[in-house]
Amino acid sequence: MSSSNQTPILEARNVSKSFGKFKALQNVSTTFMPGSLTAIIGPNGAGKSTFFNALSGAFPPSSGQILFNGKDITGMQQYEFARIGISKSFQITNVFKQLTVHENVRVAAQMETARYNFLRNAQSYPEPIELADQLLRRVNLEHLRNKKTGDLAHGQQRALEIAMALACNPSLLLLDEPTAGMSPEETLVMMDLIRTLANERTVILVEHKMKLIMGLCKRIIVLHHGEFLAEGTPEEIQNNAEVRRVYLGQG
Amino acid sequence: MKSFFQLIARHRVLASTLFLMIFPFIMPYEALAINILIFGLFAMGFNLLFGYMGLLSFGHAAFLGTGSYLTGIAIVHYAMPWGAAILVGVIGAAIGGLLMGFLAIRTRGIYFSMVTLALGQIVFYGFYKAESLTGGENGLRGVRVDTFNILGMPVDFLNPMIKYYIILFVVVLAVWLISRILNSPLGAVMEAIRENEKRAAACGFDVTRTKLLVFILSAAICGLAGSLRALHLSIVPIDSLHYLQSGQAVMMSILGGMGTFFGPFVGAAVMLYLEDVVTTFTKHWMAVIGLVFMFFVLFFPQGIWGTILSKLKLNQDSK
Amino acid sequence: MPMVEGEFFLSKYMTGLTFELLCMQLLTGIALGSIYALLALGLCLVFGMLNVVNFAHGAFFMVGAFMGVYFLGITGNFWFSLILTPIATGVLGLLTERYLVRPLYGRGIDYPLLLTFGLSYVLIEAMRVTFGIEGLPSVTPDGLKGTMDVGVGFFPKYRLFLIAATAVIIFAVWFFIQKTKYGLIIKAGAVDQEIVKVLGVDIAKVWLLVFGLGCAIAGLSGILASPTRSVNPEMGIPILAESFVVTVVGGMGSAVGAVVAGLLVGVVYSMTSLFFPDLAELSIFVLMAVVLLIRPQGLFGKSGAMG
Repeated sequence: MSSSNQTPILEARNVSKSFGKFKALQNVSTTFMPGSLTAIIGPNGAGKSTFFNALSGAFPPSSGQILFNGKDITGMQQYEFARIGISKSFQITNVFKQLTVHENVRVAAQMETARYNFLRNAQSYPEPIELADQLLRRVNLEHLRNKKTGDLAHGQQRALEIAMALACNPSLLLLDEPTAGMSPEETLVMMDLIRTLANERTVILVEHKMKLIMGLCKRIIVLHHGEFLAEGTPEEIQNNAEVRRVYLGQG
Repeated sequence: MKSFFQLIARHRVLASTLFLMIFPFIMPYEALAINILIFGLFAMGFNLLFGYMGLLSFGHAAFLGTGSYLTGIAIVHYAMPWGAAILVGVIGAAIGGLLMGFLAIRTRGIYFSMVTLALGQIVFYGFYKAESLTGGENGLRGVRVDTFNILGMPVDFLNPMIKYYIILFVVVLAVWLISRILNSPLGAVMEAIRENEKRAAACGFDVTRTKLLVFILSAAICGLAGSLRALHLSIVPIDSLHYLQSGQAVMMSILGGMGTFFGPFVGAAVMLYLEDVVTTFTKHWMAVIGLVFMFFVLFFPQGIWGTILSKLKLNQDSK
Repeated sequence: MPMVEGEFFLSKYMTGLTFELLCMQLLTGIALGSIYALLALGLCLVFGMLNVVNFAHGAFFMVGAFMGVYFLGITGNFWFSLILTPIATGVLGLLTERYLVRPLYGRGIDYPLLLTFGLSYVLIEAMRVTFGIEGLPSVTPDGLKGTMDVGVGFFPKYRLFLIAATAVIIFAVWFFIQKTKYGLIIKAGAVDQEIVKVLGVDIAKVWLLVFGLGCAIAGLSGILASPTRSVNPEMGIPILAESFVVTVVGGMGSAVGAVVAGLLVGVVYSMTSLFFPDLAELSIFVLMAVVLLIRPQGLFGKSGAMG
């Protein structure tokens, strides 16, 4: 599937992760090409979340390597991942509840310019404010900019989180079950957003909802019991005997 | 009424300065007003870390006490002028903040509170044992600055009113600095980390480094409060360093309202005024404040100022 | 300095440091450490189950000491007092959890801590009012007065009793947690409260029991320690800090850590007071700082949980 003359934007080499005695991931190796939209699927307990967390910098793998554009980034801290251009959204929405919608994105946006300055007024930096405005328009939350995020609907909070993830202009975006808990309407909106995002950057998704993935992604990776099981196009995966056996009737 | 409060919120430093200029006239005596200034600053410095970053430290007396002792030692043993002595106190406290912060920040949640309490006790015992410099159990005596030389003009520091306004000047500067910090990008990152550390890290913020930076700033401000206290009292009691003193900052912040800008100051004022009143007719102040504090924790966690503000629905930038 | 057989000169504080003296000091350290171990164990139980650090732990210790002397005074029997005291502090703990701490569970991890801190103030003042600010004279029970030959010298009988008694109590607590069904519920609840609820156990009763147990242990430590120190309303204040030191050194949430670190801290204190008497209190805090520096999760704590 991968063109041999292009560097993968992200590569996992023999990535394993154990929590105490529990082996969540075992020797998973795969590559992701720039500009692709890939989904990681698998039954419950397959290790999807663990793999996602290892790829997105939540914790280092117990063994193995993660490479970003050919560079070894294994063991780098979460904040360093964001700085090199890897951004993520969480399975459980993680936003700044007491801040307003606009403030949420503005803080995320100030990484590039204002960062830790502690003497100038935050309002005096135009760039984060403008970037926040732009991003809010993108996810259709502009009209709610002064609302406290705690007051937003679930789907809106997830959209907000995407806006925040985009603030550092990542070349790679990792989304953990972006449509979790969403109504059908909200899901459609999110899917559209992901489609447009995939046109500008590399996107990796973890998802449960098979119908969504089939219509969205060109490449699917299947994990099972913490190991790499199969990969391919939606058709290939659907026709894969092993995958069918593993899922056995699951949606 | 609401627009009045909104006006105050927008010009909080100016508003508080004006209020504090008339403050000594509404207090029964100047020393109480001065104490409120000093402990108000102490509580505000503490609250940078607690209310705005969500880190509950029980070791901040170490910075109040370090500021007091170093300023006192500079004056008593090294005959330094008051300006340099204050600087020594503040820098010493900041260094203490760096050391304590470095060790404590690797811990989280309630563990952090335990660790800071215990680390604060190191400072307590350290100063206690260094008797020749600090006077040990009896505290440091003789921190006398009778006249301040301000721009060549001698000012009588022993006059309580003059002392108040000089200390007020310093406290206002410090409060202005705190306000700037909170309004700056760092202030936004602080709150982000308080709200959701994981998300803040995922946005690219070095959470550990930010916590340490704020720890140091917080320690420096508490150190300044300590330096002023040494000048005010002319002595430095050993209890300044004990964790019960740290507990006092905690209580003041909760009483006043830890999520707000003025809250800790209000808390300090209420607590010290209450102590002044209550101790005139009972010895059992400790039980009184313990009960009051528990009452607030259970029923008024927003504190006095916090409750007032939320009743007026001024929660955005309500600090 | 000439080396004389069996003796060596170390610092200007010592005129004759012998193996015997070292052993005796070690024993003293173990006696002190036993109290620390028990205290830390109580703290750890409450933390493990409720995720609450009881900032009134030192105050409960103090109340236990007072109760112990008081009950001894009215019953004349040390063993009765040894049973009544933890019951008294345990009941106080039950009331505290039910009416003061429980309302705070959903709020945020700092709130129960803050509440118990305020409670400690009230307890201290309550003891001042009841027993006077000077405190009570500490009493060594009759059968345990005097010293006993332990081979390397004459060691106070009471301290031997202390070591033995705390060992028995720690074993009893261990047995309760590991081998009884109540202990199993507590352990399970410490890991996942939802599971326990699903199994039909009233989790509130478990919280109540564990908090009460923690306070009972604190009170028990108090009465056990009372013959070895002055019994006054402020005695619990440094004890709180020392309990934290033990917890940090041992590792938050580790019962084994609490016991091992408790003994270690006691010994460190004791040995330091032999060589550098002025620095004994400081030494245990420095120990903690060193542990924080090289192993922030403590000796028995889980890596990544804290550090």
